[in-house]
Amino acid sequence: MMWSLAGVVVLSGFFAALELPSLKGQKKERWTFWLLLILSTGLGMAYVSKLTIPNPLELIAFIFKPIGYWLHNVLPPAK
Amino acid sequence: MAENGKISGLQLMVLTFLYTIGTTVLVIPAGLAATAKQDAWLGAIAGVLIGTVVIGLYMGLLTVYPGLSFVNICRSALGKWVGTALGVIYMCYAFIGASTVLFYVGNFFKTQFIPHTPLWCTIMLFAVVVAMGARLGLETIARASELMLPWFLMLFVLLVLTLVPAAKSANVLPVFEVGWKPIFSAGLSFAGTAYMPMVFLFSVLPHVKAPEKTKIGMYVSALLGGVCVILVTLFCILILGPNITGRSMYPSYALVKKINIGNFLQRVEAILAGLWFITTYVKTTFYYYAGVRSLSEILGLKQYKVVTLPCAMAVVVFSLVVYPDVVYMQYWDSIIFPPYIILLGVVIPLLLWIIGLAKQNSQQEPSTSTQNQLDKGS
Repeated sequence: MMWSLAGVVVLSGFFAALELPSLKGQKKERWTFWLLLILSTGLGMAYVSKLTIPNPLELIAFIFKPIGYWLHNVLPPAK
Repeated sequence: MAENGKISGLQLMVLTFLYTIGTTVLVIPAGLAATAKQDAWLGAIAGVLIGTVVIGLYMGLLTVYPGLSFVNICRSALGKWVGTALGVIYMCYAFIGASTVLFYVGNFFKTQFIPHTPLWCTIMLFAVVVAMGARLGLETIARASELMLPWFLMLFVLLVLTLVPAAKSANVLPVFEVGWKPIFSAGLSFAGTAYMPMVFLFSVLPHVKAPEKTKIGMYVSALLGGVCVILVTLFCILILGPNITGRSMYPSYALVKKINIGNFLQRVEAILAGLWFITTYVKTTFYYYAGVRSLSEILGLKQYKVVTLPCAMAVVVFSLVVYPDVVYMQYWDSIIFPPYIILLGVVIPLLLWIIGLAKQNSQQEPSTSTQNQLDKGS
């Protein structure tokens, strides 16, 4: 697990090294880049440390479940 | 918004064609056969018909809001804040779409080709190519897909021709036994997978030379893509029969394993996998490209490239999270996905179109206002 964490950090370092030279003098872009990079690195680290990451599909499923089942009953598959 | 060059109408046609076939060709025959049994191919035809209406709606949207990307359409229809909120929803949808398609790729690889390689390796490799495409820009993606098209067509024709001898016409009989409801339901899931995600082409349409002239072209290429999938579904039913098709995870892959010409030409299923990678690549890239474009438009960034790499990492992580297992994937795709995609792919575009029409009518000089919008958008 240590190695995977290190791998995620190295990957984000590589991303930063790749992107930052082209962002000289663009303040907003730099900020956005760092913010997103920190967010996604956090996500990556949470994944490799086997933390539970909220599944966005669960939220969508929560919203659309009733109408989904209704649609399934109105248009049932063939027996 | 910095963008390298514009793509031609023909390139848009190629993209639409490959995008329509996308993930659909490998996954959808199973769902169609499970829903409509031996009439799955009629379901596919119904799907193409529904798709025609959906594309007509998008073309209408394009006429009302010429030269605008989807976020800008939302903004010009609903005002700055509500429009931006809707744009955020579509952006999330694009990233979720990219994640789910990446999972499809990884799952296919893991179950069919390289079972001992961890899922994240294949997903990451695919994501690298997708992110590279998005970073290099639309022109590069369009040219790459132009290069891939002849290969796709050649291999597809080869597959269809070699499948013909194995077809058994008894498998499709009796025709139209299941009635119209399952066929319509199957058509809806087909259109939901193949045509409704085309709402993301609105991130591309502002960069097409003379998009007005390409409307017919988009129609034609989307229909041709649909015909390819109809053919594959028909052969699945003709050769494997409705039961095996409905039960398999990747029926068209199982189908191609059946090819046997004189005990010599056998086991060519890797060709189908190759075809599928080409079309899935286009589809994933568009989900992803639409996502990063929308994000940079929402934030008002000068160039969208900035967000590509961090977003790629997030998408890879989410692709490992979205479907905990295949059972959940089947449940989500068959129960949750249809209403979700109908809301995002049909209802909201329809509302935006009506709002746009109403605005156009209320203005005294519609022609000049359209011209202004065009100037702002490009």
